[in-house]
Amino acid sequence: MKKLVPWIISVLLLGWAVSHMLPKRPASGFDVASFAKLPVLAGGRVMPLDTLARVSLSQMNHHGIDGTANNESSAQVATQSQWLLDVFMMPEHADIAKVFEVTNPDILDLFGWQKPGNYSFNDLQPFFGQIEQQAGLAAQTDSEGRNAFQRGIIKLRDVLRLYVQLKNTIQAQDSPDFGKEVQIFQQIVGPGLQAVRDRDAGKSYDQQAFERILLFTQRYQNLAQAKYALAIPNRAGKTENERWAPVSEALLASIGTGNISYPVIAYGRMISSYRNGDVAGFNETLAEYQSFLKKNVSHELRRPILEYYFNSAQPFYQALILYLLVFVLALFSWLFWPSTLGRTALTLLGFTFVIHTAGLIIRMYIQGRPPITNLYSSAIFVGWASVLFCLILERIYRNGIGSVCGSVVGFVTLLIAQNLQFDGDTMEMLRAVLDTNAWLATHVVGEALGYSAVFLAGIIGIIYIIRGVFTTSFEENTAKSMGRMIYGVVCFATLFSLVATVLGGIWADQSWGRFWGWDPKENGALLVVLWNAIILHARWGGFARERGLAVLAVFGNVIGSLSWFGVNMLGVGLHSYGFMDQAFGPLLTFVGSQLAIMAIGLLPLKYWRGIRARAAKISSEATREPDPVTAS
Amino acid sequence: MTSNLVQFFKPLASLKLTIVCLACAMVLVFVGTLDQVQIGVYEAQLRYFKSFFLYFSLPGSQLKIPWLPGGYTLGGILLVNLVAAHVSRFKLSWKKTGILILHSGLILMLVGQLVTSVFEEESQVQLDRGQTKNYSESPYLDELAIIDSSGANTDEVISVPASRLAKGRSISLPEAGLTLQVNDFYENAALVGPKQLPSENYPHLRVGPMAVAVPIPRTYKQDERNQPAASVSLMQNGQQIGSWSLASGFPQPIQFRAGPKPFTIVLRPKRYYRPFSITLEEFRHDRYAGTEIAKNFSSKVRLIDPSVHENREALIFMNHPLRYAGLTFYQAGFGNNDATTVLQVMKNPSWLVPYISCGMMALGLVIQFGMHLISFVRRRVIA
Repeated sequence: MKKLVPWIISVLLLGWAVSHMLPKRPASGFDVASFAKLPVLAGGRVMPLDTLARVSLSQMNHHGIDGTANNESSAQVATQSQWLLDVFMMPEHADIAKVFEVTNPDILDLFGWQKPGNYSFNDLQPFFGQIEQQAGLAAQTDSEGRNAFQRGIIKLRDVLRLYVQLKNTIQAQDSPDFGKEVQIFQQIVGPGLQAVRDRDAGKSYDQQAFERILLFTQRYQNLAQAKYALAIPNRAGKTENERWAPVSEALLASIGTGNISYPVIAYGRMISSYRNGDVAGFNETLAEYQSFLKKNVSHELRRPILEYYFNSAQPFYQALILYLLVFVLALFSWLFWPSTLGRTALTLLGFTFVIHTAGLIIRMYIQGRPPITNLYSSAIFVGWASVLFCLILERIYRNGIGSVCGSVVGFVTLLIAQNLQFDGDTMEMLRAVLDTNAWLATHVVGEALGYSAVFLAGIIGIIYIIRGVFTTSFEENTAKSMGRMIYGVVCFATLFSLVATVLGGIWADQSWGRFWGWDPKENGALLVVLWNAIILHARWGGFARERGLAVLAVFGNVIGSLSWFGVNMLGVGLHSYGFMDQAFGPLLTFVGSQLAIMAIGLLPLKYWRGIRARAAKISSEATREPDPVTAS
Repeated sequence: MTSNLVQFFKPLASLKLTIVCLACAMVLVFVGTLDQVQIGVYEAQLRYFKSFFLYFSLPGSQLKIPWLPGGYTLGGILLVNLVAAHVSRFKLSWKKTGILILHSGLILMLVGQLVTSVFEEESQVQLDRGQTKNYSESPYLDELAIIDSSGANTDEVISVPASRLAKGRSISLPEAGLTLQVNDFYENAALVGPKQLPSENYPHLRVGPMAVAVPIPRTYKQDERNQPAASVSLMQNGQQIGSWSLASGFPQPIQFRAGPKPFTIVLRPKRYYRPFSITLEEFRHDRYAGTEIAKNFSSKVRLIDPSVHENREALIFMNHPLRYAGLTFYQAGFGNNDATTVLQVMKNPSWLVPYISCGMMALGLVIQFGMHLISFVRRRVIA
């Protein structure tokens, strides 16, 4: 029975997590879930509308949809897709949804507001002129030189533009009833076309039909400015660029053919039904459109549908919570019921790792790429690899340290990933130089494995120092095995970071014509290699023993974080695809904390509680029984 | 004898020296990277990595105090240290195979990079569609070129690096029998219309009827280059032939005669002439559907080398350079509404070395750590 306890607890916690991974039930009778699965081309890739909604909202505010959920005026808005449905089909509803985050005090001042928070499109409408003007001024400053106000106002202008683009994705935002508009257009397009032909031929023509078609043409040419998301699949399209079109283009194309493509008609009907509150009509048209897609562009559907479920499952978020639970369990296991809690922590860590792995693999399938394509995915992968290393260490040493380290690294890296996803689509298309799976799979993955090992060694170093200085549970065996773990992990870190850095050099030679260019990202990788080499040589030379190794390994965290994130903040060099500028404060705090831990680790041994306790134990044992050597 | 040699090598082979050097290298790389924000990648390379010492000058004094060894010094010491360690300490044994291969690879890489940094030559060629060029231009350096066009088929180019130009300096050019007198020199200059000058007395050089060059501070920005301007006179046998104001940002060749010979003088980005030519046939800038995100850049070029009867097409695109005659041409940029391509041209005689050395290093590490791992697993099995 006792053996089963860890399994029972783990399975219960896993079940709790899985129950959160299933898609939410739609709030209204409209089939929002099916709507959310519809494919659309945005940012160069086919994604479900659900992703479009999430990516757009995450740029507008830091809470996704949470900002609107507690707002009475749009209480029915429960999910991201529901919001997008309104933006597409009932813009006057979406206009009052408070989704635009304004927190900068100077921007609030500009509008005469006091309270930082989320505001609606209508709230902001009176200030559009000011926003455009101020953002225009701010844009004249180099992006590195902009202050918080300038960055904020540009961002606000950009998300407002994005919102207007979204509103015009499948209809002109001012259309009172787009379904009817399409019908009317269908009726006049034939006679209009005839009138144009007659006029060109110099014959007498139908003046009214001509003017009408002219009016519609102008209307749709204006609409063509909105091309952020292309919603209309085009079976006939041969090249990548022709397979999807904006609604405006599909409508303009029908002037030539006289026929309006079915997806436009379907969207028009959906809009009419939605606006009239006709649930059955809406769902019926939606189902019809889905089967049309299945019949005609089924190859474009598989990934978006999977991505929809992936989005609602949020595997990395669930893993984040579970890692935190593992950490708590593992910490408690050092105090109470060591074996039961320890095994529970390890079992749950294993389950969490499965979720993490599944998320990683599904992401790779959806994107059709190796695991790392940007900073966000590098955080996910570094966490994953660290946890894998920890599971292996735990298998070898069985001392609970693997569980603690794994849960900490897993939690922290996924937390970093959570914060990085607000930059936009995490599965964005890769810039030209990165468009090579072979190098992404070798150099980039190798670097990430190197980082994983560096951070893992650092965490073990921290545990070594904390347990040694502050606790009495610092037996010689534990300390020794931690020392060996650090050494082994540093060996791996050296191997991966060296090989990966050199592979990076070869990639650079292939694409930029030079093996090494002292570019910041390259230098960051070099620092990691050099630091690992120093640790290994210091150990071989006998300059650093167990404790020295632990302190040096903690400094690896500093070097690793600078190389991983710090160099991206410089904004220099050719590796300009991973740039970021806002995390400087947290990075500095992290570096400071690591230096503090190193200082603690360098305290003379007489201040180490663990060592004192060990000495006391030995001396008390020595007084109890005579030393065998002297006794003989 | 052998023991004497070992005695001599001992201090050089010290592991402490290795660690100190590696630590210095980390400091060097760290400050060299930070300083790139101020002075750019190219200048940082020269000051930190392709140098012997970093100097610190006390404000208000000419005294320069070296405070950190530069890239060449550190690389050199590490190289000596490594070789000395192998000579004095290492014995040939199976256990040391991994370390030996790893360190040999490292030595090869250090030597290779030294060769690279001495012989490497970086330039660019900018081509409009249909344009042919048999030279590339330096993205950093400029030259004052005096071209003797009296030859029947070829021109004789005398190149004076802009770094040698300084106000008041006199440079003799024995090839042409001329002496160059530098009347004024700006390291970097902006071109403005004559009416934009703040006052008549503001320092400027009139480089054309509608253009004057005014001195501006050196730039270190990634997307800008320094464009010097100079006022020079040419003397023949103590007599002045002519005097011109020239600007690299406005490289208009000016013709003159020295005795019977026709010459041209121009201040321009430094050129590297090749025995072959390249013509841009087509440039493509592919974007992801519905976006402005670049998917690929590619240049279809025609390579013509009459000396070896080579005349063929080549496609240069991202991660796929053209290697020819010891040079690598890779896609670096574009401009002019996608009508112009910019190819980076690298000359690096030791480009193959890293491939070999990195193979050796990886192999060495795998062997070394593999042996560690095996013995570790064995011990555990026994225990």
